[in-house]
Amino acid sequence: MQLYLPIAELPLNLFLLIGMGGAIGFISGLFGVGGGFLLTPLLIFVGVPAPVAVATSSVHIAASSVTGSLTYWRRNAVDFKLGLVLIVGGAAGTVLGVFFFNQMRKLGHLDLVITLSYVTLLMSVGILMLGESLRAMFRQHRNRTVPLRLPGEHRWYEGLPLRMRFHRSKISTSILPLVVLGCVIGFIGTVLGIGGGFLVVPALIYLFRVPTSVVVGTSLLQILVTMIIATFLHATISQAVDVLLALTLVVGGVIGAQFGARTGQSLKGEQFRLLLALLILSVGFRFAFDIVGAPLDRFSINAVELER
Amino acid sequence: MSAPAARALLAAIWLGLAVSVPRAEGIILALSTREVAITSTYTGAEITVFGLIERDAQTTPRAGGYDIVASVRGPTGEVVVQRKEKYGPVWLTENRRRYAKVPLFFSTLSTKPLALVTDEETRSRLKLGLEFYLPTAAPGSDEFGFRNALLRLRREERALIDDDKAITMIRPDLFTAKITLPATAPTGLYVVDLSVLAEGVPLRTAQGGFVVRKVGFDAFVANTARFSPWTYALFTVAMAILLGWIANAVFRKD
Repeated sequence: MQLYLPIAELPLNLFLLIGMGGAIGFISGLFGVGGGFLLTPLLIFVGVPAPVAVATSSVHIAASSVTGSLTYWRRNAVDFKLGLVLIVGGAAGTVLGVFFFNQMRKLGHLDLVITLSYVTLLMSVGILMLGESLRAMFRQHRNRTVPLRLPGEHRWYEGLPLRMRFHRSKISTSILPLVVLGCVIGFIGTVLGIGGGFLVVPALIYLFRVPTSVVVGTSLLQILVTMIIATFLHATISQAVDVLLALTLVVGGVIGAQFGARTGQSLKGEQFRLLLALLILSVGFRFAFDIVGAPLDRFSINAVELER
Repeated sequence: MSAPAARALLAAIWLGLAVSVPRAEGIILALSTREVAITSTYTGAEITVFGLIERDAQTTPRAGGYDIVASVRGPTGEVVVQRKEKYGPVWLTENRRRYAKVPLFFSTLSTKPLALVTDEETRSRLKLGLEFYLPTAAPGSDEFGFRNALLRLRREERALIDDDKAITMIRPDLFTAKITLPATAPTGLYVVDLSVLAEGVPLRTAQGGFVVRKVGFDAFVANTARFSPWTYALFTVAMAILLGWIANAVFRKD
């Protein structure tokens, strides 16, 4: 059944859209990643203009994060205090990101920056996680428990001023590195047009040793707030949010996120990290292939804009 | 031009009717619709142009019969074409061209392949092709490559259509032209330019037009998004949160 989308200005199959939303929602609920780095390219692939795809993805991610974070909240798996600290940094990073984005666009290097940072980020995060989770699984296989944190061990940045105790996450650290982390994620997220969950989750696990069970809920909370801000910016500045496209994706997405969050609870920490690593790596490979492989067509149409 | 005359002319174009004085041949056109309405179920449209070639006793006899060619030109806009180049191991966008004021939909209709109807010079004079709306480029130049890529890619996207079977002669002086509009064709005013030729020589031209626009729910959404963006954003965010919450409540087991 074809449905004409009033802002994207093309008809698409209703069930295809719901299915796409559902698949991305499942991944989003499972891993606590927004799924923007999957949904945006997918929408562009089916013909949605790039600005509409980026803007509308943020609505879908917001909805998926609501349902996902509610599930985790009910299981007491959200650290609100930690989330709030990340959001404060994230807001600052978003502003910096918008500024940088426009500067690079003026200089004409945006394409290069986006593609190279996508590949570098996804590949390095993916490889690091894959190596770690495989090592952990291998050791566990030999019946040795490997705690992520050795008792009493502290990293230098955790000892900086403005120390705060996060009871839910069982960590005690200076909030400065957390604000910086939020800021960096907000910055990268804005420039690349993604929520940044695939960076927050590994960073909290590996840099701050936050338990996996709490990380996902907290990451979803941070993504939710970021995406609400992004939706407002996209709707008012770029005017590219398609409410009908968002509705179909959201209907699929919120259902998918439910199943994802449920499945996520039954996964072991190392399994979770291995699967997320594989997902991130495969997307990284796809982007790498995009720039390494010879293009089928050297020319492409980048933008078509109607004069108003 | 006086105001009533201008209004009458405007009305004639609006109605898709154009009448020329029958000195040699004349044409009368009528379009099957003046407005293509975009609704939620819109998947493109088909518009039929009916045309009558007027002749009288004084008209020169045309042994070879008539050929009809028409162009359908949509609203204009900007198209950006980019080209990838190999830098070390990677392929990156190295160059791009901006084409301003390009018709975002263009269709050439004819009774038979254009090459059989008329020569290159007449085609250029009648502007039968999107290439005549682009800046000229010397063959072999960089510019030429971009220009050709634009034409080729727009053809693949169905924003540029050549159809040499779209016009059917029902009788030697009566024809229909079928305009196929894909769903991605932009909203706005479309101009139909039609020419009657005999033995490659254009005899008469006529113009008609139609409008593509969103109506009902789709128009409401597009207008709200454009003119009340804050309300639109608020509604969208509220919808996302509400649906997320409902799904969570429905699926909750504990």
